Amino acid sequence: MTMTVRTGMAKPTNGYDKFLITNSLDYFQVVKQSYLNAGLPVPTNIYGDPNNPTVPDYTFAATGTRTGVDAYGRPVGVDVNKYSYPNSLIMPGSSGTNWWNAVFGKAAKVADYNLSITGAGEENAYGVSFNYFDQDGTAAYNNFKRANIRVNSSFTRSKLQFGENVALSGERHFGGLPDDQGGETGLIGKNILMQPVVPVYDIQGNFASGKAVGLGNNTNPLKNAYEGRNNIAGNNRVFGNVFAGLAVIPSVALRSSLGFSVNQGSFAGYNAITPENSEPSFSNSINESSNSNTDWTWSNTLKYVRQMSQHNLNVLLGQEAVHGQFRGINASLSNLLSNDLNARFIQDALGDAKSKVVNSFGSESALLSFFGKADYNFADKYVASATVRRDGSSRLGSNNRYGTFPAFGVGWRISKEKFLENNHLLSDAMIRAGYGVTGNQSIPSGRTVDQYGGNNGDTYYDINGTNTSVQAGYRQTSLGNQNLRWEENKSTNVGADLAFFDGALNVILDVYSRATNNLLFDPATPGTQGVAAAPIVNIGNMKNRGFDFSVGHQGANWNATLTGSKYKNEIVSIDGVQDFFYGPVSTRIGNALINQVGSPIGSFFGLQANGYFRDAADVAAHAKQDGAAPGRIKFVDSNGDGKITAADRVIIGNPHPDFTGGLDLGYRRGNWDLNGALFGSFGNDIFDAQKDFYVFRDFSTNVRNDRLANSWTPQNLNAKYPKLDQNDTYSKAISSYYVEDGSYVRMRNLQLGYNVPASMARWMTATRVYVQGENLFTWTRYTGLDPSLPTANAGGAAGDVRDQARGIDRGVYPSNKTFSIGLSASF
Amino acid sequence: MNKVLRQPLFLGLAMTFTVGTLYGCKDFLTDAAKPQGTLDAGTLANKAGVEGTLIAAYRQLDHTNGVGGAWASAASNWIWGSVTSDDAYKGSEATDQPAIDPIEQYQWSAPGVEGELNDKWRAMYEGVVRANAALNLLKAVTSSKPGEFDAPNAKSIEGEALFLRAHYHFEAWRMWGNIPYYRETDTDFRKANLTKAEAGAEILKDLDAAIALLPAKARSVGRASSWTAKAYKGRVQVYTGQFAAALVTLKDVRANGPYGLESSFDQVWTGFQDLENGKETILAYQASVNDGQANGDNSNWGARLTFPHSGSPFGCCGFHQPSQNLVNFFATDAATGLPASLTNANWNANSANFVAGSTTPVDPRLDYTVGRDGVPFKDWGPHAPDWIRAPSYGGTYSGKKNMHEKSSGAQSTVGWVNTQLNSVNVHIFRYADLLLLLAEAEVEAGSLENARTIVNEIRARAGVKAQGPGKDRATIGVPLNDPSITWATYKIGPYATPFADQTAARTAVRNERRLELAMEGQRFFDLRRWGIADQVLNAYLSGVGGGAEKTRRLQLAGAAAFSARHSLFPLPAIQIELSKSGTSPGLKQNPGW
Repeated sequence: MTMTVRTGMAKPTNGYDKFLITNSLDYFQVVKQSYLNAGLPVPTNIYGDPNNPTVPDYTFAATGTRTGVDAYGRPVGVDVNKYSYPNSLIMPGSSGTNWWNAVFGKAAKVADYNLSITGAGEENAYGVSFNYFDQDGTAAYNNFKRANIRVNSSFTRSKLQFGENVALSGERHFGGLPDDQGGETGLIGKNILMQPVVPVYDIQGNFASGKAVGLGNNTNPLKNAYEGRNNIAGNNRVFGNVFAGLAVIPSVALRSSLGFSVNQGSFAGYNAITPENSEPSFSNSINESSNSNTDWTWSNTLKYVRQMSQHNLNVLLGQEAVHGQFRGINASLSNLLSNDLNARFIQDALGDAKSKVVNSFGSESALLSFFGKADYNFADKYVASATVRRDGSSRLGSNNRYGTFPAFGVGWRISKEKFLENNHLLSDAMIRAGYGVTGNQSIPSGRTVDQYGGNNGDTYYDINGTNTSVQAGYRQTSLGNQNLRWEENKSTNVGADLAFFDGALNVILDVYSRATNNLLFDPATPGTQGVAAAPIVNIGNMKNRGFDFSVGHQGANWNATLTGSKYKNEIVSIDGVQDFFYGPVSTRIGNALINQVGSPIGSFFGLQANGYFRDAADVAAHAKQDGAAPGRIKFVDSNGDGKITAADRVIIGNPHPDFTGGLDLGYRRGNWDLNGALFGSFGNDIFDAQKDFYVFRDFSTNVRNDRLANSWTPQNLNAKYPKLDQNDTYSKAISSYYVEDGSYVRMRNLQLGYNVPASMARWMTATRVYVQGENLFTWTRYTGLDPSLPTANAGGAAGDVRDQARGIDRGVYPSNKTFSIGLSASF
Repeated sequence: MNKVLRQPLFLGLAMTFTVGTLYGCKDFLTDAAKPQGTLDAGTLANKAGVEGTLIAAYRQLDHTNGVGGAWASAASNWIWGSVTSDDAYKGSEATDQPAIDPIEQYQWSAPGVEGELNDKWRAMYEGVVRANAALNLLKAVTSSKPGEFDAPNAKSIEGEALFLRAHYHFEAWRMWGNIPYYRETDTDFRKANLTKAEAGAEILKDLDAAIALLPAKARSVGRASSWTAKAYKGRVQVYTGQFAAALVTLKDVRANGPYGLESSFDQVWTGFQDLENGKETILAYQASVNDGQANGDNSNWGARLTFPHSGSPFGCCGFHQPSQNLVNFFATDAATGLPASLTNANWNANSANFVAGSTTPVDPRLDYTVGRDGVPFKDWGPHAPDWIRAPSYGGTYSGKKNMHEKSSGAQSTVGWVNTQLNSVNVHIFRYADLLLLLAEAEVEAGSLENARTIVNEIRARAGVKAQGPGKDRATIGVPLNDPSITWATYKIGPYATPFADQTAARTAVRNERRLELAMEGQRFFDLRRWGIADQVLNAYLSGVGGGAEKTRRLQLAGAAAFSARHSLFPLPAIQIELSKSGTSPGLKQNPGW
């Protein structure tokens, strides 16, 4: 029986308050300079006299609540009795709201408990484990809980073996702010970029927001979190398998296994009214969804083992069938009669029945495989293996469903040769080489045929002019491709496992080349073909070449392992009509991702920024660029046609690292041990789409705290930022200005442990206590929140295409810095 | 091996192998291959499918959530036809919808503009695709199931689809001129563009075919009849400069068609269901709300941002604000009631907020077109300063035509900012527009008196009612001399004497067109087809009638001069790229872009 317990506190590794403005009057200076530089009158409705700005008593007081206004029309007195929610709000002014802190200010608790019991007898083996995990979100009002139970047992009766593995898990995510992958509507995307003069609460304790002119259109991020505190995303899952095996004769074994997974997801959420917003909504709503995945896998194998003196042969023949079924339903209702939690259900009487919407959806898929594998080994000196699979997928065109995927591998343990026997310098050496083909078919089901549909809001229409009813309409919703075939990944690999000095130094080297053929993707169709989803096609070929290495030392008191990998990705050919296709993630300023021949997948694509226009003469001398003016970004006329247009876009960045590496260090002394893990990524670019907000102030958001000081002026020509210019909507075009080096080195883990001597706790064996810190330090030049961006969850029509969406920072939860203490013990 | 086979368990396993393999071979994969929750082409191959496909083609008249990018694909064309003109500013505030700023400032190759152009392009060709889908499906069903339709219905469906195809191409044509034309038989979607003249001829060809097929009375109010197509044909003939032919077409529509002017101007743009789809409507987007669409998507969606902002009953978002120039243009001569711009060289001198109470005589259409402080806003009470988002940026006025009356009940109860969602139909082509096109044709034909008659008919209708106190439905429109009117002096009169010459007549017709159709998304296209866009718009910015917008709205100081290349919008660069076969694009960019 073993038990591990860990509990700790987490905070984000970085926060916007580290580099955005947190003082209202400082922010005003940015606004002021933007207007002055643009030759526009400086707004006075918030800060009053531009030359003597003051934090307003009130940022907003509804008409009728004001008892006095100052020379600038700012409310200076209000009649609190006239306040009424939601129609007559009064919001104070703030000398500087730290919005990041308002949401992320409190450290989040995390606790993780594990207990596992294993045992085995002559004929039986069993294991039971429990896990409970409870983590508060670093953002307010969020919590995640997960519990698992796992049971497995196996029984042997003569030549027969049977058993099962079963796991049950339940997850509950409370709160309206799931760890989103970025994007404007997400918390970190834009809402938390609210101006500092906006208060968190209004005068009556309701949430406030930037309702007045010039304060942007964000929703109060803390309100977002608070109102969503009862949102629950749940997931229940039962999965595992039952199996039976028979040792027919000692060299032949049969095995049949039925695997299953039943996964039920659900969500219940609430959207509050937002009367305090500049763009208010007075209609609340709830939405609810439920879905289930029912998958089973049935596999049957026959295994043959033969040993003749030094020859070892292992043959496996098998067949496997996989079936998956997904079904879901979602519903919503607006204008609830009661806001009570117990009345948040989707029923006619509980809200506006006319707003009730219910939709269900589903998908089905199947895979059928036949495979054989043979392993041969001579005296542990020469090894060879060969595999061949034939896989059929329901997702592919009926004539191309099956693919055949062979793989071969050979190995030579040189150290077993005479000339290296008992060699202490090179104590173990294995040289390997392999070639293999694997298939990918992870696209949605049913895309081999044209699909039709329609929905109210898109194809339905009030053709009879009733004003309140619509007639059904239909359109083609997606274009099918009967010729869909397997995407193939061919990889060739040469490697070596080397041990020196009797194992004191271990080296692993691998060099590989992987070619992806018939890449599955759905490049956009021309607008003239309509908006039906583009067909998924086998569009092109891609190549990855690289090497991985690991060098490790295992000493008496210390150990160290350095790992590293380098790869180069290149699209070799594209078989579509065009020689490029765009990536799957767009931002408010557009799509900065392209896949084109000769460049890595998911490259950044845009105009090449080349400093700023110096003066009018520089503008005149440059290629014609709409909106060109001194202090604005100058773009390169790449095609030399004398004007800056979309045709001047080029590759402006590569999200793939030149090199990634890790260093694990350990030191032991007595009962104490100290372990650390460093990770580094070098040479990868990040496209910081958030600059649209915190540099260009799109939607009047907050900006970086050096935005004013480091702006272009005639005296500061090579400034970090372009000129503050209220009229400059031009400099923010997608360009290399958004691209930064995303290299970083991070201490991912540092742990100090103490192994409790058996004498101290006799009833426990192998007891260890530790303190641990995760992500304690990060060294980077990246100026955004966190260089270790999770890849955007780009599940496009062509399935998981996140390879095409690396390195786009659209406002992503930063990694957590966690301190925890833990205990592990065996009984 | 016999010993082995005797083991029952082995037999069982062996059988499962066999069964599994048999089961697996074919049906196992085929059964799971079908898409779920969608329809196949066969299901729609019947009457309901054809009619539904046609409904979807109508739906595309305004933004649909199938395309995304609502504002640039609005039926009202507020961005392309109004903000670009001397009628309106982008409005709101600088950093909201910043992609529209460079559109307003004629910097059309600036970043962001392409996205807006692309939205319009995609929406119009989606309309074409839907119309063609209806045609193809109709053809398939009538040949496979001969009894499915009676002949009149089949003919009308074909005619309606052809009409819609012509309309969507026309919308693209007046944007870009050199467009590709797509028929139901096309399979190459990377075709080259036609010249502007060729594309115009194709539109007329489709309209002629539609006229021959359509019934004189539409199958329902939202649909096209042969008169709709005929009226539209006259419009396209005027747009293509074929005035003599247009004269014939439009005279026929006027003499024999079902159309007429609404009795008073307040009844033209309205949320009252009983007033909608009256005799003035030729083609309108039929907006609906509270129809089971939970977000109000079938409402006036494309124009939703154009409502007054926070302090107003509509909440958001303050775009598409009338220009000072437009407001000044509504001033009339105290004696004749004719546009002051005809006689007063300084007609545009006023740069201040034109608030209630001024004794300057104005055309009553001003207060049905423009929301201004102190003047009742339909029946919502007076327009107030806090209805404006950023007066220093977008001026002090709000648009008014497409807002619903409070007592009309046309407001959505659901959706984000539901207060700006309504069921007010969006006029795409109305009879007053047609009459003024006819007047243009008369002027070009030299029949100036006919033109004068038309202009006076329009002006007479405009003089029937003015904005009243708006206490209820009955007082939204009151006679011009109603004593309850304290916020304005309304004065409008006819052209009492024959026009001095063709030039004077042309000016009168063009002025009338601006006054009548202001803020309706037509002005910019009118200026371009008249060939005076450069002259009018550069004067609008730099100075005309004693006022210049560059000094009123300082952000417009950054506007580029309107030049030859602006006579057509640039094609969205992405569509040129997507039209590539290999490296050569099918579509060619318009000159100068």
